[in-house]
Amino acid sequence: MTAVSMGKSEMASKGLKAGALGLVATTVIGIASTAPGYSLAAGIGGIAGKVGVKAPFVMLFAFIPMACIAAAFFYMNKADADCGTNFTWGVRAFGPGAGWISGWGCIIADLVIMPNLAGISGQYLLLLFRPSLAGNIWLQTLLGCLFIVAMCWICFTGIELSARSQVILLGTELVVLVIFSVVAMAKAFSGSGVSKIADFTNDDGTVDPNHVYHSIKPSLSWLSPSGVTAGAVVGGLVVAVFAYWGWDTAVSVNEESSDANRTPGLAAVLSTVLLLAIYLVTSYGVVALLGSDFISQNSGDAIYAAGKVALPTVMVKLLVIAILTSAAASCQTTILPATRTMLSMGSHGGAPGKLAQIDRKHLTPDFSTWLFGGLSIVWYVALVLISHHTTTDAYSASIAAVGLAICVYYGLSGYSCVWYYRRYLTKTVKNFFLIGFLPLLGAVMLTYIFGRTIWDAAQKKYTDPPSSLFGVGSVLVIGTVLLVLGVPLMLVCRKKYPAFFRIKPDPLDTIPDPYGTSGPAAPLGTYVKGA
Amino acid sequence: MAGEIVVGVGGDGSGTSAARVAARVANMMNTSLVIVFGYEAAALGPRGGALEEEIAAVGAEATSKIRAEISRAYPTLDVQVEMVPDRPVESLVRVAEARQAEVIVVGHGGKGPLRAALLGSVTYELVHRAPVPVLVVPDDEA
Repeated sequence: MTAVSMGKSEMASKGLKAGALGLVATTVIGIASTAPGYSLAAGIGGIAGKVGVKAPFVMLFAFIPMACIAAAFFYMNKADADCGTNFTWGVRAFGPGAGWISGWGCIIADLVIMPNLAGISGQYLLLLFRPSLAGNIWLQTLLGCLFIVAMCWICFTGIELSARSQVILLGTELVVLVIFSVVAMAKAFSGSGVSKIADFTNDDGTVDPNHVYHSIKPSLSWLSPSGVTAGAVVGGLVVAVFAYWGWDTAVSVNEESSDANRTPGLAAVLSTVLLLAIYLVTSYGVVALLGSDFISQNSGDAIYAAGKVALPTVMVKLLVIAILTSAAASCQTTILPATRTMLSMGSHGGAPGKLAQIDRKHLTPDFSTWLFGGLSIVWYVALVLISHHTTTDAYSASIAAVGLAICVYYGLSGYSCVWYYRRYLTKTVKNFFLIGFLPLLGAVMLTYIFGRTIWDAAQKKYTDPPSSLFGVGSVLVIGTVLLVLGVPLMLVCRKKYPAFFRIKPDPLDTIPDPYGTSGPAAPLGTYVKGA
Repeated sequence: MAGEIVVGVGGDGSGTSAARVAARVANMMNTSLVIVFGYEAAALGPRGGALEEEIAAVGAEATSKIRAEISRAYPTLDVQVEMVPDRPVESLVRVAEARQAEVIVVGHGGKGPLRAALLGSVTYELVHRAPVPVLVVPDDEA
């Protein structure tokens, strides 16, 4: 009865929108989705703890596997632009079981990072208004929970700041980070540099209250891996991959929706270069200011602690605001992908259909959003309690655990791409390199980081000082328990939703040429076993 | 015959008042009514496939309800539905251009000026971009 005359194909050219946004806004939004301020605040301490002054090297090196996987995202997106991304692609390449686990990995990665996101937000909110209360873990937790609710509400209502508001907020974030880094490096270079007396916690847990931290002159050698062990580099990388998390979707998925030869293509390149520059400059600045020990000793609020030394009070407040807005922006790369994966799994029949429920007013997956928010709060409070009542720093170990989950589902995306497009890999050199080599390289690197981290964590050598939960490294426990939990859940779903688990991987001859004219692949579920 | 009347509606029944006014106008002008449901998931991140299908299902339900109501009130009126997977403003502008519409009718939910400035307002953006006259109907009217 309804005349749907204007289909998707006729609406395909969305040039108007991209043009309306403009180069600056598109670039800024690309960087925004990676949340550099928050990523640095959460991750730089852990990285410096592993590799010391080589933090800039690790920041740059982590970009390689992430860029490789972005290629996989880009090409798989051509076959199927489903909001379930790696879940859908896993099903198409390897079948429903592998796809389900890949989707689970994505949801777990997003869930595991929520306590950290909330914790940083709670802490920086206190630093902004009541610095004396910032150490109060209960107040911090309360604010963190409220922050989770607020972020879920934003995702539920689908509210988006207008392009202009985003440019202002994120422009401020970037400018403050750059000023901070330049001032920090200038201080390190000037005369005898700066020094500060503060607590230093030894490996055995004793505290030296009169430790003197000195600034160190930035050196190009910070960009080379010489002098650090492979194990330390991997330990830094598992944190650093998290810093680029979100960049891939912004680049690979959003670029797809418009002409590649227009604004988005250029904006993707620009935002990537700027992002790398910001990570490089900031990691240099923060390490140079008072040395890498200061950062790892203050890993909970590294950027704030360093900012207080380098900048006047007003700028410190701006820095705190920048990190807060960045944390808020990163909800778009945690809650949105998680709930969209949940929706896709429910919608395609691999999980309860309730997950695909859409709010009529806001047109967002309401049930998935609030379920995810609720689980995040439970998980957050549990981690705070575990950290409070045991010697385990489960809370900061979770950031390495998220790295593990990212390795799993990004790795699977890379392998999916190579396997899915196997018949086209040898067609052209370009295909071989972009669709075969890069995704495989990224996937192998992430697999190595994953395996090595598990291995090291199992040896209890991972966290420093060693933290133990049930006798093994807490990273291992947090990361693997949650990931492995996906297997029994998948088996339950296999029983409850047999139709989904009868889907076959796409037959070889139906897979579209990524540079052909046949368009995307047939809808998921077209090819069923025994049909 | 005059150009068609284009009206934008939401998945939750918002724009129903606008659709009633639009139907009256179309009926008076002896032309067709085009109900437009423009939808797009939040801009960042993946949004195709399942999400688009689920949203489209909500839109199909909402528009068919409005369509049925209008057809009861004006049995002879030609009522069409366009589901456009794009931002609501974009959808309305495109449909109006493609069909050389007479007027675009939209509802106005009463977003405050601060909210509108921070988040953008469909109505505000539309009156600046529309290729044809825009008629704004308060959501509780008609």
